[in-house]
Amino acid sequence: MAFAIEFFLRRIGQGLVIVLLVAFVIFTLLRIVPGDPIRIILGPMTPASVLEETARNLGLRDPILVQFGRFVTQVASGDLGRSFIRGVQGGSTGGSQDSAGFDPESRASVAELIGTALPYSLQLAALGIVFTLLVSVPLGLAAGLRSGRWPDRLGLYVSSFLVSLPNIWVGVVLIFLLSAKTGLLPAIGYKGFAYTIIPAMVLAIELSPVLIRAISVSVAANLGETYFDVGLVRGLSRRAMIARHVLRNAAVPLFNLFGAQMIGMLLGGLFVVEYIFSYPGLGMLTINAVFQRDFPIIQAVAILASGVLVAINMLVDFASTTIDRRLKF
Amino acid sequence: MNSSTAQATLPKSSQPTRGRGVTARILRRAWSYTEMRVAASVFLALALLTMLGPFIIDASATKMNVTDKFLPPLFMEGGKLPHFLGTDQLGRDLLLRSLIGLRNAFAIGVVSVIGMFVIGCAIGIYAGYRGGWVDVILMRLTDVQMSIPVVILAITILGMSRPSPASVIAVLILASWPVYARVSRGVTLSERQKEYVRAAKILGASDLRIMVRHIAPNILPPIAFVAVLDIARMMIFEAIFGFIGIGIQPPTPTFGTIISSGTQYLLNAWWITIVPGVLLALALSSLNLMGGVLERARNQILQGGA
Repeated sequence: MAFAIEFFLRRIGQGLVIVLLVAFVIFTLLRIVPGDPIRIILGPMTPASVLEETARNLGLRDPILVQFGRFVTQVASGDLGRSFIRGVQGGSTGGSQDSAGFDPESRASVAELIGTALPYSLQLAALGIVFTLLVSVPLGLAAGLRSGRWPDRLGLYVSSFLVSLPNIWVGVVLIFLLSAKTGLLPAIGYKGFAYTIIPAMVLAIELSPVLIRAISVSVAANLGETYFDVGLVRGLSRRAMIARHVLRNAAVPLFNLFGAQMIGMLLGGLFVVEYIFSYPGLGMLTINAVFQRDFPIIQAVAILASGVLVAINMLVDFASTTIDRRLKF
Repeated sequence: MNSSTAQATLPKSSQPTRGRGVTARILRRAWSYTEMRVAASVFLALALLTMLGPFIIDASATKMNVTDKFLPPLFMEGGKLPHFLGTDQLGRDLLLRSLIGLRNAFAIGVVSVIGMFVIGCAIGIYAGYRGGWVDVILMRLTDVQMSIPVVILAITILGMSRPSPASVIAVLILASWPVYARVSRGVTLSERQKEYVRAAKILGASDLRIMVRHIAPNILPPIAFVAVLDIARMMIFEAIFGFIGIGIQPPTPTFGTIISSGTQYLLNAWWITIVPGVLLALALSSLNLMGGVLERARNQILQGGA
């Protein structure tokens, strides 16, 4: 128990520093890359004096460090701010109706926007992971248990092939085959659970090759270890050794992979897939926000995404030290 | 350092783990796989097609031609020479556009991988060799960098400015150097203890010379083999950027823009989207298969196992 508390205290501290730095990087990037949000908020016909005044009111002309300090205090008190563009009623406002002035109160709160989008993304991610596991666990295990033989080669081919399919293209092909041509499944937008299936398939195609490889390598490596042969010599059946020992030991590197790589890939994949399918999740929200220079949304999502990555890495490290006590932190 | 005489006279424990001959052995082992030869042939064929295509095909990749728009590929009814893979909504030849897209994507992939390899490994070797607070700071930096999803970073930077090939490459390098830094740092940590490094130090070699002339040549080739896989990954990112509209801008053809423009005509002219993608997937498969085999061969030679 003391171990767990010490572990989490230490890692949460490190994690907070990382999230803070990530927030700072994104925050600074947004402000040094060209593209002025004020012009989009107020529309192209606004006189320069009004633009300047609104920018100053929003604090966008202060030094970046001052802005960042204000932002961090605001976030620390639990307020993610309000969107520049999106109205309380949903949908984008902006443009000429605001040219008289900008009223932040008429804008949707970022926390609410994220709260609405997040469940959709989680649902897509969960189904994507289920599909990924359905494909990769059988293939990866077969390849690992028959290292050097045909299932192993099959695993290499399948993963080399799947990893070569760009998700944007797979998405469009699946829309064409399963939706446009045959009408089996709905594809664009979201009007019910069925709209999640094709996007989740695209995610699975993107994630499976990494997992197939990792499972087969990890299982094959464990079969080569001495403890496996020792178990056989002591009279345990091959099946029992695999079920009770090999799979458990092989899971440790897999957990690490899941944290370090898969979740990052999953997040990136979600963004792209949601964009392809106009799926109303976080990715769609963020990509639209980028095109509209909606800083508060982008910042909040970046913090959220890196926070999730850091937290998952922490849990994964904890899980693998619990499974295998040799790996003390 | 003359590695062949050093290896002949020094006891085994003081040799560098990976001599020059290892690279050749890995390549030879990889070449013994049928998969490697098939993939290399496909890749070579595509490369030739990319270089010669524009001279052989009597059509234009960018000039619009209203009378010849929406022509299907030759293998379908209604196909017409010289448009082997048909034309798009503006009557531009799809094969030519795909070939140019392939060339650009490959160039971006290779340049960005070289960039992230050089920068990442330089930082990794430096961190691993120096150790101490330099190491701590550089490695925490990779933590931060790796906690920003690539796509968020890319759309933040590229979505705001008008993207050029150079800025696309810069973003790819920025997003991916930490992986190389981590790996090369790990290997350097163990390499630093080896006798050949201490010997070089006793002989008065400077730190820079040890890192560049002794450690780097020993540890980099095995990492470079895996970099082949990253070329394919970067090509996919390039396509994604083009699709979202934050990649190389029209009229230069890229796979992303070809695929996204075709989605509007999916029902009547599906080939605009689907056929170029097949070409891209073929190129990427050959690269990935070569990379996969090289990785296997490397693991077999270095660890003596799979």
